[in-house]
Order: sequence, then C-alpha cells, then structure tokens
Amino acid sequence: MLELRPAGLPVRFYAFALDAMIRWAVLYALAMVLMVLGGLGMAVLLIAFFALEWFYPVLFELMPDGATPGKKLFGLTVLMDSGLPVTPGASMTRNLLRAADFLPFGYAAGIVSMLLRRDFKRLGDLAAATCVVYRPVAPPPVELAGVEPRPPAIVLPPRTQAAIIAFAARLPRLTAERANELASLALQATERSSSDTPLTSAAQLAAVAQWLVGRR
Amino acid sequence: MTPLAFEERYCSEWRELADMLQRARGEKKVANAGQAEFSAQRLTQLYRRACEQLALARSRSFPAHLVDRLESLTHDAHQLIYRQRDFGLSALAHLLLTRFPQAVREHANYVWVAALVFILPTLILGWLVYRQPELILAVVSADTAAQFETMYSPTAEALGRLRGAETDVAMFGFYIRNNMTVALQCFASGLAAGVGSLLYLAFNGGYGGAIGGYLTNRGMGGAFYPFIATHSAFELTAIVLSGAAGLRIGHAWLMPRRRSRRQSLVDATRDVLPVVYGVLALLLIAAAIEAFWSSASALPASIKYAAAALCWTAVLAWLTLQGRDRAS
Repeated sequence: MLELRPAGLPVRFYAFALDAMIRWAVLYALAMVLMVLGGLGMAVLLIAFFALEWFYPVLFELMPDGATPGKKLFGLTVLMDSGLPVTPGASMTRNLLRAADFLPFGYAAGIVSMLLRRDFKRLGDLAAATCVVYRPVAPPPVELAGVEPRPPAIVLPPRTQAAIIAFAARLPRLTAERANELASLALQATERSSSDTPLTSAAQLAAVAQWLVGRR
Repeated sequence: MTPLAFEERYCSEWRELADMLQRARGEKKVANAGQAEFSAQRLTQLYRRACEQLALARSRSFPAHLVDRLESLTHDAHQLIYRQRDFGLSALAHLLLTRFPQAVREHANYVWVAALVFILPTLILGWLVYRQPELILAVVSADTAAQFETMYSPTAEALGRLRGAETDVAMFGFYIRNNMTVALQCFASGLAAGVGSLLYLAFNGGYGGAIGGYLTNRGMGGAFYPFIATHSAFELTAIVLSGAAGLRIGHAWLMPRRRSRRQSLVDATRDVLPVVYGVLALLLIAAAIEAFWSSASALPASIKYAAAALCWTAVLAWLTLQGRDRAS
C-alpha cells in the first residue's frame, strides 16, 4: 500500500510564488536580450511569455522529479491519484485548467477548493485526477545514544515498541526535563531496573529502546 | 527478528537499489566500477523485494526511520519504473490527425450548441449594428470604434491592427497569446456548469458581429472581409470547439448520471482533451496566417477569398473525414 501525504495551501503557495519569480526572472533576462532584435524579438518574447505561463509547469512535471523547481525545493511532487507518475495528458489538463482555478480573480476558486477538501486539490487536480504530495525522503540514519541495552520489564506490543524506539531517536532534540517527563509515562516498561542503578527515567527508556532495536 | 537484524540482513539490497535508481536518473556517474551492470530485470526484482520488506516492516511496527527509508526507496523506484515516455512525433501526428477529429465527432452535440451560441449573437448583433451603426457604442467605446475604422480604412498600410514599428512577426506572437488566452478561458470557464463557456462564446460572437456590421455600414467591408476570411477558418472553429469542450465538462459536472460528480468530471475531461489539443494547434495556424497572410494589403481580395475557401474546406474536411477508418 502506498502512503501519500497531500501538500496544503501554504507550502503550495510558497512553491507557486517561487515558480512565479523564476518565470519572471527568465522573461526579464529574455527581454533584455530580445529587445535588441526589435520586432522579431518582440514576437519571440510574447510567445515565450505565453509558453512560460501555460507550459512551464507541464515541462517540469513530466521530468523524472515530477515537480517544478519551486515544488522541488519545498519537497513536493505531482502524482496521479493512483500514485503513478503524472501522465502528459493529466499534466496538460491540470495546468490548462488553472484558468478555471483563477476565476473570478487571484486563484480564488482554486484556493477555496483546496481549503474545503481533505486532499487539498484545486479544480485542475480534480479534473485531471492528480494530486500534489510531499515526496517521501529517506530520513538520516538514527543514532541511539550509547547506553547499555536492557530488556523491558514487561512484554511490549509492537506499536509500543515502535513508540519507545521513536522516543529514543528523538532524545537528542529534547531537554532533559521534558525527556524525563515523557519517559515517566512509560515507567511500567522500565520499572524493574530502577533499584540497581541511579539512571534517569529517560536513560532507562533509551536503554530499553536499545534492547528493542536488537542490541543485546 | 529485531529491527536491527532486519536492517542488517537487507541493507545491502537497499543500497544496491538506491544506487541503481541514482544511476538511472543520471545523478551518479559510474563511480564504483566494481558495481554490477545496470539491468532492468535486477531493478524490478529489487523493487519487488523492497515492497515486500516494506510491508513486513509496517506490519511488525518497526521503527519509523526504517519504514520511512523503505517508503522513499519504493516510491522512487515506482516512479522510475512506471514513467511514461511516449512523446514521439508519431504520437503527435496520431493525436492531431486521428484522435482530434474523432473526439470532435464524439462531441458533435456540444459542437452544434457551441456553434449556435456563437453564430446567433454574431448575426443578430451584426445585423442590428449594420442597420443602426450608433449601436456599436453599446459594445465598444467611441475610441475603439474609431480605431477599428482607421485599421480597415483604404489608406492603411497593414490591415487588422494599428502597426507602429512592429512587424508581422511581432504580431504573430501577439495573436498567439491573445487567441489562446480567449480559447483557454472559453474552455476552462465551462467548469462553472458550462455557463462560463456560453457567456464567452456569446460575447466573442456578438463582439465580432458588431464590429463586422459597423465596418460594413461605414463601407469598409471591402478591406475587412478579405482580412478575416482566411484565418477565421481556424480561429472561429477553434473558439467554437473550445467552447464545446467547456460545455462538455460543465455538463458532466452538472449531470453526472450514475457516477460521482468528481468521477464524471474526470472522465469528461479525459475524453475531451484531444479537442483542446486540436484547438491549440488550430490557433497556432490561425495566428501564423493572421500575421503573415491576412494582413498583406498588396494581395487582391479575390486571391484571399480563394485561399479562404480552400482553408474552410480543409478544416471542415479535417474534422469530418479524418480518422474514420482507424480505431482509436
């Protein structure tokens, strides 16, 4: 089963704004060069203006990354509803229908549609059966602090095990007080060892995490 | 099996898969020559195994970093394996010569409605303004009317637009942007239950009709009609077709029948997309003709009318005859 995380309005707005800036920068550069050529340059500029407005996203969405530079920078990608890469037809549809999202002004229709839906689709996405999602990124390998592994006091169900390991991975980013406060919620799992060594509850839980992950 | 043992057992496969993916995307040149050659078979094999391992890791609630790593790996492989890459010229030719006319005929009802909504205001407003030229002021401002008069007056150097230093090529760019914007609006506004398309069609039809009627009344028909006759074959057809496409998606949304509104809209858009591609192609041709051929004031009207007849026949034949023998 594929898990997709739809991207909401703010991050898509940032991506859009960045793409708009890139487009205008390209046009500005083109204009500087083409103005020298007079009428011919004017024509090329107008065509470039049109092409950038409508087909800039199509071009980039059909690349392996499936995202415009703006989307890519914010970790987004465009996919079909099925999770497959976006097809040329769907990419055309969702971008041509930006004209509908724009109505009545300033992308109001698209914004309302995104805010009302749980999967944050604008009208073009609805018609093209596409969605904008966060591209899954491989997290950096987790280093569990070097504590002696200890077996848990009781048998733990898999989800609890996962929670304890996630806690240990988060440990370096927590203050000592907060870490102990959180760890004290799981006293049951560590209780047995509390008598023999003067470890904080956070360190005890980290030791259990070590054991759960497989160091014994 | 503990998470650590699981990771140790399979991480060489994951590294191999990640390496292959990077190489396939061209991110990594042949860095380590010791690595095995890239093979699609091995890639799919590794992909399947990674999917299996992801399912295992999830069902055993392995730590998040392990599951995330497998998710990103399978996602990238999935994207690479299922990417579409048929952008060839033959696909384009098939689209324009077969799929486009077929799609137009499949939506014949919408095309007729769109054509009516476009033509009726043209004729009515054209006739009204022809009889009473002051009615033009209901459509455009006095300045614009005067401008149109200057453009088509017998003394104008180039027809159709007031031309300063700009040349035909510049106008080509202008027409493309202008016309495509009109056509795309005409299509996309159909999403509002088709009302937007109807309004755009009627407005553009009425506007053109009024200008035509006004210029005819002022005795400039001799300059105006040869100018518009040729490129209108492509331009007017394109606007009617984009309106028809807009009506189709609006209708699908309004009356989804036994499908959900959303599914109905998705299906309708997919069906009608070849028409929109065709519209873009038509407008490209129209802009080229309008800029380079229609505005050439040196050519006699008879030649322009002959070319117009040829173009209209060609467009109608394209839409009615092409793609009948081949299945899509």
